[in-house]
Amino acid sequence: MRMLGVFQKSERVRHIGHLDIQRAVQRGLRRSGLPVAYSNGFNPHILVTFASALSTGACGRREIMDVKMAEEVSAEVFLNRMNLAMPPEMQLSEARAVDDRHPALMASLRAGMYEMILRDKDQAQKLISSIEPMMGREEIRVPRKTKSGIREVDMKPLIFSLRGEESTLFATLMLTERESCKPAMILDGLKKEAGIPEEEEIRTLIVRTQLLGEDLEGNLKPLETL
Amino acid sequence: MILSDRIESMLEKVQKAPRYTGGEMNTSIKAWDEAPLHFVFCFPDTYEVGMSHLGMKILTGLINEQEWSLCERCFMPWVDMIALMKENKVPLFSLESRRPLKDFDIVGFTLMYEMSYSNVLAMLDMGGIPVERRDRGEQDPIVVAGGGCASNPEPISDFIDAFMIGAGEEVMLEVNRVVLERKEKGWSREACLKKLAQLEGVYVPSLYDAEYNQDGTLKDFRPNCPEAPARVRKRFVDNLDKAFFPSKVAVPYTEVVFDRITLEIMRGCTRGCRFCQAGMLYRPVRERSLETLVRQAETLVDATGYEEISLSSLSSGDYSCLPELIRELMRRMKDRRVSISLPSLRIDSVLKESLEETQQVKKSSLTFAPEAGTQRLRDVINKGVTEEDLIEKARDAFQGGWSSIKLYFMDGLPTETTEDLDGIADLARKVVAEYFKVPKGDRAKGLRVTVSCSTFVPKPHTPFQWAAQDTIPVINEKQEHLREVLKIKGVTFNWHAPHLSYLEACFSRGDRRIGRVLKRAWERGCMLDGWNDQFKFDVWMAAFDDCGLDPAFYANRVRRKEELLPWDFLDCGITKEFLWREKEKSDRAEVTRDCRQGCNGCGIQRFAGLCAYADPKRRNAPSPSLLPYVPEGDEC
Ligand code: SF4
Repeated sequence: MRMLGVFQKSERVRHIGHLDIQRAVQRGLRRSGLPVAYSNGFNPHILVTFASALSTGACGRREIMDVKMAEEVSAEVFLNRMNLAMPPEMQLSEARAVDDRHPALMASLRAGMYEMILRDKDQAQKLISSIEPMMGREEIRVPRKTKSGIREVDMKPLIFSLRGEESTLFATLMLTERESCKPAMILDGLKKEAGIPEEEEIRTLIVRTQLLGEDLEGNLKPLETL
Repeated sequence: MILSDRIESMLEKVQKAPRYTGGEMNTSIKAWDEAPLHFVFCFPDTYEVGMSHLGMKILTGLINEQEWSLCERCFMPWVDMIALMKENKVPLFSLESRRPLKDFDIVGFTLMYEMSYSNVLAMLDMGGIPVERRDRGEQDPIVVAGGGCASNPEPISDFIDAFMIGAGEEVMLEVNRVVLERKEKGWSREACLKKLAQLEGVYVPSLYDAEYNQDGTLKDFRPNCPEAPARVRKRFVDNLDKAFFPSKVAVPYTEVVFDRITLEIMRGCTRGCRFCQAGMLYRPVRERSLETLVRQAETLVDATGYEEISLSSLSSGDYSCLPELIRELMRRMKDRRVSISLPSLRIDSVLKESLEETQQVKKSSLTFAPEAGTQRLRDVINKGVTEEDLIEKARDAFQGGWSSIKLYFMDGLPTETTEDLDGIADLARKVVAEYFKVPKGDRAKGLRVTVSCSTFVPKPHTPFQWAAQDTIPVINEKQEHLREVLKIKGVTFNWHAPHLSYLEACFSRGDRRIGRVLKRAWERGCMLDGWNDQFKFDVWMAAFDDCGLDPAFYANRVRRKEELLPWDFLDCGITKEFLWREKEKSDRAEVTRDCRQGCNGCGIQRFAGLCAYADPKRRNAPSPSLLPYVPEGDEC
């Protein structure tokens, strides 16, 4: 049996990198005393995976861990024990027991929903009013950092939705194992569209609010509910 | 949180922001208004170093557990953060509530090594507190310090209001109570400090005056008011069985230097190595009982989720039931996948059995510390280890499947000659030979013998407190020689340039006047001296120049027997007579027996019942428990 746990990465710990978040969850699982499964080998580790790595600097409201259990436990027990074992900054809001054959989360992941809270009102206004013109273009070319360097991509097909309200941008962006659009790319695109000089810094708080997968009809649904 | 937005914008730019953000497991504390006394525990080095220090976790836990006090944390920021703080005019703030240090009632530093002193000055200044104690006003916090280096507080005494000498916990709470009373009753700063001076184990430097002779040596040192005692006696531990041990210790998110549980199995050491300050200061030896240790291990594993427990003490091999302890810990930890490691082993302990057991858990490299290359020099320093011991233990280790051995030595020990240096190479060669004696199929692959050599620093409260350190050119020559003779296949040689040890020697035996050098060096930009890339030796030398003081006076001078030493006013248990006796024996290369074979009259026997070995009736029954607050020193 496996347990899907929905957890937050709060603003305070947003600068913790993914590897450290993974280790914090591993240690939390160890503290919880829950019957988790371990890998074999000389340095056994808990069999836990994550739907998606969240970048350093971003908060997550509903991130998902996928834990292989050695024995059956109820979702409720899992949730309670984990919340005692995790720091306030990384509490769980939901847990769901699934069968071992449940597809791997990473494989079902399609998109991420983001909020980008802009710290500067002026910039916010400029960026938000650039959404329409930018989305009206046939192609939106932005630089994309990859392991092999920086390459230009057309991000238009990777954007499911993008809108702005007051000083927040709301975006649903493609997020799969093969292709994804980062919130920073949206900011780059809008910055260019708004004619804001490249060196001008845009201070934002990026929050990933939800991970989405696809149901049988091809609709995007919260990943943990599939 | 105070100052939040400005801090947030800095955190977005800085490297390793988690150093400054807190929020780790087991660190949530009460709200500011929930407790009347606000304490900030300052560690004068980076987060990664400070969070590896068990003593800090214990003390913060202790203070937070009192209804009337709360304790936040603060570490020395890295240079990039310091630059940003300056640019944004943000004072140094605590991790928890992000308040500047000056908002706290009491600011406490732990002094683990001399080369962190410049960080103390930097942190005070960045935290909005006048660096020198005489410039502090009624609104400023009381600045206190404790830890191993408080055994010679003078070099940093211009900057600290009160020192705690000896075991930290009990006296910590007493100090806090006085400071709380000050706050409630509106006592003046001076009145508060005079109250503090009356607590046993507390030294308040403003209440003492020092006078010097023409030649720069100390002429007189005495209190300038009736409230201050002429001698300050180190705080001993009254009730060993009621030791505070936190049920929750902080677990960092990011990797720190020691990212594991450290279990202190005993305190003190009976062997009496003459160079070892910890061995002299943490007398008498006290063991924790097996039951306590097993209970503490389980508590800590439950609270932290750590994967590894390491056993620590000055001489773990001397713990009276080490094999039983390891066996019991392994039995309990197996299902929880927690590994047990002994950070190092003394080579003359009966360890074969435990060696075999740890190996099933984790085969890290083994550490031996012969310290000197010849028997003569080992006798001088009273390191009761023979070549046969070392070779036998190396053989056991290689036969037991280890392939990696670390050997620790010191260069610049008193009376050292070329022969002693050659002896280091000899030993290394013999260890390598033992590896090849094990049949090929039976030994682990990849022989690695690491010889590490550190430069000897004479320390206060040791028989070498009168000795001169070798000058830098002499040490350079010796290291050059070692590099030559240690070109041996399978052997790696590690050494450090002597400059840091030289400064350490100045400050470890410094007097009050050297505080001016410290201030000057800090003004000229010295800080984070423990970090190679930040250490500015030339600037330090220029600071000595500016103050008209000669570093060689502190580092390279032999002291006379009659000389009044700057730390003589402290009674740390061991007597000056004992130390001088030991010094004379060392001159004759004469060894002193291990206390377990009989009391050597170090001075601790003056306190009835404190030392088990000084009392024939209790000879074989070391006291069963001990207080957990000690600096996490290296084993010898
Ligand atoms: S009192 Fe005697 S036995 Fe105890 S530490 Fe001192 S010399 Fe050793």
